[in-house]
Amino acid sequence: MRKFITFALAGTALALAGASSALAQTQLRIFTGGQQRPDVMRQILEGYMAKNPGVKVEVEVGGATSEQQQQYLNTVLASRDSSLDVVLIDVIRPAQWAAAQWAEPLDSYLGADKDATMARYLPAYREANIVDGKVIALPYFADAQFLYYRKDLFEKYGVQPPKTWAELKDASKKIQDGEKNPNLSLFQTAGAPIEGTVCTYLVPLWQLGGNLTDKNGKLSLSADIAKKPFELWGDLKAAGVLPTNIAEIVTDRMRQNYQAGQLVSTMNWGFVWNRVENDADSQVKGKTGVVPMPAYEAGKSATCIGGWQLAVTAFSKNKAEAVKLIRYLSSPEVSKQQAILASHLPVFPDVYTDADVLKANPWFKDALPVVQTARSRPVTPRYNEVSEIIRTNMNSFLAGTKTADAALADMQSKLGTIFK
Amino acid sequence: MSAATLDKAPPKAKPRLSPLERSERRLGFILLAPAFLLLAVVVLYPIIELLTTSVRFYHLAQPWMGTPFIGLEHYARALSDERFWESTLNTVLYIVITVPGAVIVGLGLALLANQPFSIKWPVRLGLLLPWALPLVFAGLIFRWFFEYNQGLVNNALGFFGIGPIPWLTNPTFAFAATCIAIVWKTSSFVALVLLAGLQTIPKSLYEAAEIDGAGKWQQFVEITLPMLRPAIVVALIFRTITAIQTFDIPYAMTNGGPGHSTETLAMYIHKTTIDFLDLGYGSALAVLMFIVSVIATTGYLRHTRRDPRKA
Repeated sequence: MRKFITFALAGTALALAGASSALAQTQLRIFTGGQQRPDVMRQILEGYMAKNPGVKVEVEVGGATSEQQQQYLNTVLASRDSSLDVVLIDVIRPAQWAAAQWAEPLDSYLGADKDATMARYLPAYREANIVDGKVIALPYFADAQFLYYRKDLFEKYGVQPPKTWAELKDASKKIQDGEKNPNLSLFQTAGAPIEGTVCTYLVPLWQLGGNLTDKNGKLSLSADIAKKPFELWGDLKAAGVLPTNIAEIVTDRMRQNYQAGQLVSTMNWGFVWNRVENDADSQVKGKTGVVPMPAYEAGKSATCIGGWQLAVTAFSKNKAEAVKLIRYLSSPEVSKQQAILASHLPVFPDVYTDADVLKANPWFKDALPVVQTARSRPVTPRYNEVSEIIRTNMNSFLAGTKTADAALADMQSKLGTIFK
Repeated sequence: MSAATLDKAPPKAKPRLSPLERSERRLGFILLAPAFLLLAVVVLYPIIELLTTSVRFYHLAQPWMGTPFIGLEHYARALSDERFWESTLNTVLYIVITVPGAVIVGLGLALLANQPFSIKWPVRLGLLLPWALPLVFAGLIFRWFFEYNQGLVNNALGFFGIGPIPWLTNPTFAFAATCIAIVWKTSSFVALVLLAGLQTIPKSLYEAAEIDGAGKWQQFVEITLPMLRPAIVVALIFRTITAIQTFDIPYAMTNGGPGHSTETLAMYIHKTTIDFLDLGYGSALAVLMFIVSVIATTGYLRHTRRDPRKA
């Protein structure tokens, strides 16, 4: 019994201590993915906490890929858990989050500032984060896909960075013939059944003027163009430009291969630059060029828009403080900081021309037009299903288990039940 | 003991209980009540919830639709859903391949561990480790083994001039690779059960057989196997139940790919509920999976009703 009393007293004391420190400080918890440079976010938050001593922000890191993060968040938010205050979400998700009522609409917090705040961002991000007139999230950083290529190897064999897929194929062949290195992979794009593989399908489709849905949100895959992306990747795989194991390649794996000097070129996102130039184990420092993606016709490039948004969860107990935090994280100042520390593409046009930013990322000078013209993946609350249909069919095709016709037919019939 | 034997017994008049017996019976119920309550909360309630969710439209991505009653629509959809049949077939294949596989490998391991080694602990530890390893870790480890460029398996095959084999991106190889990983992971549990069984077999039987001139193989077939039968049945039941729920290893190794060729029913349910947030349809699939497991285990349950030693 004495023991029990001691425990009870100790417990009460602890609870009281907890309560008093909570009174003094607001605890916020922010969720981010492993690939979105949590180390850089922590660094930024240190600065925020120094300026706001009343707030303590903890960073929770999870999920190596966008869909793994969303899987985790699905369980947390479906159970209306209040442990997360701020969540970093992929640009494809605001519609879903709005529909599921997981994100706190920010309009009332922004108040009179709403239009002025939103007007500062690149139009694509302004639009992506406003769903049915409500501000669902604020952009953290922008992203788009580029062609990373080994400048040293291209120069060695006297080839220009490719503007078309045919040029990419020729250049790759030329480098392969010269290097004679069986471990050197020529070109990689995401091929595993992950979110990035959706872009592997959509990029060539868009380049040809194709679209997944029309203005009314109905499926508009026309048979001849819809088959072209399969044919492109099938052709590059048959020619040995894409590796045999393309169907198991995920986004960060391409960066690792590239950084290890085992990959000549890759379709990849903005974060790669900083890792390639700064990681201690990078074998290709100073040997990298970044250009817009090749297309069927020179100049008709297209890429997937990416980037990450900051949402306040509808179940947070500290919404006002959380909104303050995301307004800070979504400021030009932080955008610049991220650009320098992580080569995260800015969401503000002006930051692209900032001298410090350009010093860290010389290729940003040509990046703005690519981001400005990058395309959005279809916006729908059932995006998870849409993504799964496209990526599994692309993956089956790349693995060689489905023909282009079978993959396309399956895609059309399943997407048809969603976009009707 | 079972209900069946009670029914067959000739009807007798209910014996009147003495007050002492009645109070004992009451005490018995009171003592059992917490266990029943616990079961009701953690088993009965979720099952009822599952059944009621499965007949409703319940899609978290479309909360404005509400959760209207739709009858058996989800079940009808499942029966015409190719992916449901494909994942069910895959699950059945996993059962048919990995359950006997684990029992055969486990039996070998158990026989090996039963040898009179002078130091026993390294062998026992070797048996315990794969069993203690979390399933996802096992899946990740094997994913690296079977990786195309850097994987150990392709590297080893390279020495013999074979390959490289696209283990995880070819449907047949991917299925084989996941089966190998599952057999490796689960055979140690089977081995532990069988080892316990082996140690109950009296040494005198083997001595007598040896005197009668029986060879090692004959001893194995005539003594070891029949005496091990109850242990094998137990191992089979446990292994089959876990095989029906196969999830972690294919999830970590292939995520069901390429296409859906290594996707199990449990993975499809996970995808439907957690990824697509379609709780209604996911629940209907879970009910169907429950039916599959009932069918698969009925055979064993029948078997266990008899005393396996007499069979």
